Amino acid sequence: MIPAGKSGTAPFGWLALPFATGWQHRELIRVIVQREFAQRFRGSVLGWIWAVIGPLVMLSAYTIVFTGPFKVSSTAESGVGHYALFMFAALIPFNLFTELFARAPNLMRENAWFLKKTIFPSDTLGWIALCRALIYAGISFCILLVFEIALLGTIPLTVLLIPFVLVPFCLFLLGVVWFFAALGALTQDVAHIVTSIMPLLIFGSPVFYSVADLPEPTRSFAYLNPLACFLEMTRGLVLRGDLPSLSVYATAWGIALVVFWGGHAVFMRYRSIMVDVV
Amino acid sequence: MSSDLMIRAAGVGKSYQFYTHYADRFKQMVFGRFKKYYRDYWVLRDISFEARRGESIGIIGRNGAGKSTLLQIICGITTPTYGEVEVNGRIAPVLSLGTGFDSELTGRENAIIGGVVLGLKRADIVRRFDSIAEFAAIGQFIDQPMKLYSTGMFMRLAFAICAHVDAELMIIDESLSVGDTAFQDKCKEFLRKFRRTGSILLVSHSVAEVSNLCDRVIWIDRGRIREMGKPDEVIPKYQSAVHEEHDDASRFLIEA
Repeated sequence: MIPAGKSGTAPFGWLALPFATGWQHRELIRVIVQREFAQRFRGSVLGWIWAVIGPLVMLSAYTIVFTGPFKVSSTAESGVGHYALFMFAALIPFNLFTELFARAPNLMRENAWFLKKTIFPSDTLGWIALCRALIYAGISFCILLVFEIALLGTIPLTVLLIPFVLVPFCLFLLGVVWFFAALGALTQDVAHIVTSIMPLLIFGSPVFYSVADLPEPTRSFAYLNPLACFLEMTRGLVLRGDLPSLSVYATAWGIALVVFWGGHAVFMRYRSIMVDVV
Repeated sequence: MSSDLMIRAAGVGKSYQFYTHYADRFKQMVFGRFKKYYRDYWVLRDISFEARRGESIGIIGRNGAGKSTLLQIICGITTPTYGEVEVNGRIAPVLSLGTGFDSELTGRENAIIGGVVLGLKRADIVRRFDSIAEFAAIGQFIDQPMKLYSTGMFMRLAFAICAHVDAELMIIDESLSVGDTAFQDKCKEFLRKFRRTGSILLVSHSVAEVSNLCDRVIWIDRGRIREMGKPDEVIPKYQSAVHEEHDDASRFLIEA
């Protein structure tokens, strides 16, 4: 039997709880992530190569389009040599977010078998979804680096600091997944709400533009979107070689931790109801 | 409580909320403290029993009596509305054998996933794999995608996995009737051996199976325990009751 994770008796046990269950069930998480990949690429001749081809085609298309027909003025590039790279660097974390955000409301229903027929720690579904999405994002990231070398000839050393942005970003994503998975299990409307607002997100987030490019009154509101600081930090580290300002970095951690613990608390609150509803 | 007890269920009840309109579920969440928007459907009421370590219990009753829900509660999959359940030991839930298998993956891959889901370490399953394959006895099919399996092969593999997870309590929901007689005999032989060290909780409509494998029988009727006792005392009463009752829908009444 897989025991549902219990917090210690320590007064701040709840802070460690979401991490503890993830760690305790790491084998389960690994095996199921492997299964999802095996499932996806089984039955095709090229197999996992398809996971590389997708982002490769995308970035190639951007590169061709934005150097040729739609050459963007250099002011919009915010000090980055190439608009396609500028966009793609933010698109990777953005897509990571949207993939999880879109999937979260249906997560419990998709895995109803696990919940109803086995003794399954359902909060690990969040970790599983995250690991899966991270692998795709990792592939895209490697392709970005290859293109950066090819187009600009150099990569700033700050790229090595990416894990420091990735960790709070993952916590933020997990919180989002748990929160919307719990709500989505209770009512199908959440899935519809999410699909409806999804197309708006890309305009509200600094993917095609940089926060620095915005005119003043709008600029101050740009960071109300929690995604904005993660996207800008990634772009800074990968392309410009900029370190994020301490205030932005601290804000990112603040948001991440609040969303992470909040999302997990909401999930655990509705966990026992979900089994009977999905 | 004494460690000699495997299962203790004390006054367990479970109700599901039935909503007439889907939107009522939402109203219940928002205004629930002022008004009730659903009707209760009591699947189980006041279920109390204890099972000692090594004791095997059969649960019988008609469709919709609450047998499977009781198993789900004992497994900890769903929570009771009132009352409490304690289980001391590692459970292997053989509920709906094999429904979690992925038909694109091979038997071997599914066995590893299934084993980890049941709480084993990956390395343990790999080590026991030969034994699992031998128990399932499906030959070369073990390395083929499971979509090529027959229903019987599917179940053979599923039971073989459950037989290898070192459980102390095996929870079986009407799944022994799968497979041919030879395999059924193998399963029964396994369960007979298993009973020396562990407990079995068996839901079945086959009274012969129940009286063969269980020390005690619980008869659940419309969510309540109607009889509990030795198989040769309870089963005849159950059988004559089933003969007398009409098979109509009155048993599935949802109370306001």
